[in-house]
Amino acid sequence: MRALKIAATGMSAQQMRVETISQNLANMNTTGYNARRAEFADLHYQQMTRPGTINAADGTVVPTGVQLGLGVRPTSVSVQLAQGSLSATGNDLDLAIEGNGYLEVTMPDGAAAYTRDGGLKRSGEGQIVTSDGYPVVPDITIPTDARSISINAEGEVYAYFTGQVQAQQIGTLTLANFTNSKGLEAIGSNLFLETPASGPATVGTPGVDGLGTLRQGYLEDSSVDAVREVTELIEAQRGYELNAKVITAADQMLGATTQIR
Amino acid sequence: MDNAGYTTLTRQSGLMREMQTVANNLANMSTSGYRREGLIFAEHIKRLDGESDSLSMATASAHNTSMVQGTLTQTNGTFDFAIEGPGFFLIETPAGDRLSRAGNFTPSAEGELVTPEGYRLLDNGGAPVFVPPDADTISLAADGTLSAGDTPLAQIGLYQPADPNLMQREDGVRFISEAGVLPVEGSAIVQGFIENSNVDPVAEITRMIEVQRAYELGQGFMDQEDERIRSVMRTLGAS
Repeated sequence: MRALKIAATGMSAQQMRVETISQNLANMNTTGYNARRAEFADLHYQQMTRPGTINAADGTVVPTGVQLGLGVRPTSVSVQLAQGSLSATGNDLDLAIEGNGYLEVTMPDGAAAYTRDGGLKRSGEGQIVTSDGYPVVPDITIPTDARSISINAEGEVYAYFTGQVQAQQIGTLTLANFTNSKGLEAIGSNLFLETPASGPATVGTPGVDGLGTLRQGYLEDSSVDAVREVTELIEAQRGYELNAKVITAADQMLGATTQIR
Repeated sequence: MDNAGYTTLTRQSGLMREMQTVANNLANMSTSGYRREGLIFAEHIKRLDGESDSLSMATASAHNTSMVQGTLTQTNGTFDFAIEGPGFFLIETPAGDRLSRAGNFTPSAEGELVTPEGYRLLDNGGAPVFVPPDADTISLAADGTLSAGDTPLAQIGLYQPADPNLMQREDGVRFISEAGVLPVEGSAIVQGFIENSNVDPVAEITRMIEVQRAYELGQGFMDQEDERIRSVMRTLGAS
């Protein structure tokens, strides 16, 4: 009895949708988080009668045939790339990326990872690092005697020293972009890794070649729209229930069948 | 010959298939671009050996695909396209060109727009749609013209099957048009939206209840038929 299995694929699809929604709602306040969306496609079709089959000796063909579907499967949980709103924090190492691009960081194993979370910090050695302590590429060290630092939209980092009128440029931050940013692999902690699907990173100056600009003193909020997620949640829950009803109905039909003697 | 039983059996197995269609529609109620499927039953007449007697049976003879417009969900995705009006996107697969209404595309690593399964979207000339990686703002006009800033990149083509009856379903919300495809005029493509499945859950559940009751009715009929034959055997055997 296939209806049971088909409805089961429907239930697991709706369950996956609920899981995606709960992940989005849990990350409502995660800096630089982009909402995910579960996408589905129908499964293989069973050919009962192919359209165009010859039906009679005079060459009459079956016009549409009979095809029966076998359910649904998830195709992707894709990141809905969207600019989150910016909230002012006033910290001189908080950076929001306005537009496309990721900050590159070096993982402890030396691999490059990418992030949109611009809540940067200063390490014990004065190096600019992420909240997890991974150094940002290119390496910039803030001198200990710097009074304050300023980062402009193009990523140039200036340090101000007591007794000096002119600020001194101590480095330039770059942004990395990908042909297919949705193809990046999320590894948690707001970090992403390059994959064959994303294409290689193209590193450039912020504000040039389609890259976004940097804004100091701001952080990018999560782009999760709570109202939309809750609406989707209701839909997914009802969808789950409807598929469960199909299982009940199919089961009762089977029950009726077993009662024949 | 137990004709009454056989006739009911064709109805019962047809209802099982119908149930399978309902289950598939409901399983795909959240599948972007999914089109509701339905079965059409026809009378199959079998001439019997007698003079003018014939036996009528029900068989699932055809399927139909509902082409009703699905509702649109706003996703704000740059490469999420929804078709308003008739028509399909043309997708290049290793097995040949396919039609689809699922508009959730992404650029591939090479910069070509592809479906979640990695098959390329084709423009109105049948060529892949290339989006330069450094393009700033990508916008789509209602006629399918994709542009980066003020530079047109491609015009996404909309197609329809040359013969809608010869259209077959394939997994991945795609359709095979064996008779070839023709361009469609007059439909609009909207950016930032995805067309939902056009399954109406309420209608499907109603249909499901209908199918279930009809099945039980058939089963009841078979029970009675069984009882009738038993009683005949009892009566004749006793005498």
